[in-house]
Amino acid sequence: MLELQHVLILSASLMALGVYGVLARRNAILILMSIELILTAVNLNLLAFAYFVPSNNLTGQIFALFVITIAAAEIGLAMAIILRVFKNRGTSQINELNTLRN
Amino acid sequence: MNFLLLLPEISVAILAGCIIIIDLFVPERFKRSFPYVSITGLSLIVVFYIFSGLPSSPSFLQNVIVVDHFTSFFRILFLLLGIGVLFASGEFVEKHIDKKGEYYALILIAVLATMLMAGARELLTAFLAIELLSFSLYVLVSITRTDQRSNESGMKYIILGVLSSALFLFGISYVYGLLGTTIFDDIAQATINAPVNLGLLFGITLIIVGFGFKVAAVPFHMWAPDVYEGAPLPTTALLAALAKAAVFALFIRVFVTAFGPSISSWQTIILIIAGLTMTLGNLVALTQSNIKRLMAYSSIGQSGYMLMGIAAFSHLTISGLIFHISGYALSTIAAFFTIIVYHNQTGHEEITDYAGLAKRSPFLAISLMASLFSLAGLPFFVGFATKFYFFTAVAAEGFLWLVSLAILNSVISLYYYLQIVRQMYIEPGTETAPLMIGPTPRIVLGFLAIAITVLGIYPRFLVAGAELAARTFF
Repeated sequence: MLELQHVLILSASLMALGVYGVLARRNAILILMSIELILTAVNLNLLAFAYFVPSNNLTGQIFALFVITIAAAEIGLAMAIILRVFKNRGTSQINELNTLRN
Repeated sequence: MNFLLLLPEISVAILAGCIIIIDLFVPERFKRSFPYVSITGLSLIVVFYIFSGLPSSPSFLQNVIVVDHFTSFFRILFLLLGIGVLFASGEFVEKHIDKKGEYYALILIAVLATMLMAGARELLTAFLAIELLSFSLYVLVSITRTDQRSNESGMKYIILGVLSSALFLFGISYVYGLLGTTIFDDIAQATINAPVNLGLLFGITLIIVGFGFKVAAVPFHMWAPDVYEGAPLPTTALLAALAKAAVFALFIRVFVTAFGPSISSWQTIILIIAGLTMTLGNLVALTQSNIKRLMAYSSIGQSGYMLMGIAAFSHLTISGLIFHISGYALSTIAAFFTIIVYHNQTGHEEITDYAGLAKRSPFLAISLMASLFSLAGLPFFVGFATKFYFFTAVAAEGFLWLVSLAILNSVISLYYYLQIVRQMYIEPGTETAPLMIGPTPRIVLGFLAIAITVLGIYPRFLVAGAELAARTFF
């Protein structure tokens, strides 16, 4: 039987994976994908809380819809900027971008 | 439901939309007038808003947005800061940015987002307002498309910004799940008697992390120096003054109204972050040679002072904090205005390039000196009045050690601000030709410098506004 804590454990591990990806990866696209994992975990959390806790209202589901939209917009914008960097510099590895000091 | 309460936001949105549409149809030479159109629009909105008597209403739009004294105070502050940034942009945009319509529209959208942040009363609205601000800032930072530094800082900013939003959302999802609501007042109701459990503490911590990223608090500050340095100068001014003030306005609203009852669980976290932020920001600023990077670290240090107010948490500290935020934003706009005018004339942004400025343009030198002294908190400038009031309020809450640290840091900050002043007044410069400054920057800068001084000597008006704003919560 699927219960709230199972979903929460799944989403917590998704988030941990995402944070690990952000810290370990050096390619901007892969970092963005890791951030998407965290956002998926957020949606899973919101939906699980809205579904399993009877006193919670529909806010969670509505919130998840907004999160999906915002995430799509964010990724679109980030891709545009990364594309621009790639055209100017020929790389999207963040450790090779060091024009700014440090 | 009375939509007239949202009239300032609606008018700014319409203004931004008009600029985007007009931009498509008019030839390039008419685009010179965009800053003046936007400035006129925003000024009209401010004037009408003040003369309409600042209407307020306790509940509105299903409690999603609230219009009270706090909102009104910050709406006026943000509109004025927006006007300041637009004045500073004109000549710079003419020289360096090819997408003028988008630039001005995005600045207006950023102003709109900050006004919504001041009024948000629910976590989803707060999040959407933050994202609206961040989205416009991501584009504004990387808007000089062929400049590699701007590209690079834009990429660093968006990656860390999206990460912080994701963590912020994860925190929100726990708060929502455990309390069953996202409305601030209901969150406070739900935590008033129940002890804070581990899950809720986890959620609140992640929300602090999200805010910490946005205000560049240590250890989440690493994006700030690079972004401040790489971004076009008017965007840096927008980030340092408007965006920081707006995030703090929302920070205050969330932590006072929603998490106020559970203060014992998060107070220590913010105290530690505040101490670390002010110390590291001011110490690292000592070694900087680029003025934008210096301003970045100085604004990190300033975030540290402001965080004290949220942790100390009383009527007096919150009104002191609101007062300090307005003084800081005003001084920062003035400092960046001079830096932008100097950059327009010479193209330089290293601190050593300021050598001999007092001879080349006494006016620029004295306004930069006034704004830097105000940021350092020297008497007769607004920075002194705000710091005095704010630090006294925090000390009265029993955080003497933190206030001592803050005063020590103010002394350290004086050293690097004086470095710039030394360059301007004592070091002989290589170039000696006097700088030609147009009438518009002269008038605006003169006005800002006078405002900094007058508010420093006679701050009663601003203090009264800040106290009225803070009374909303207590």
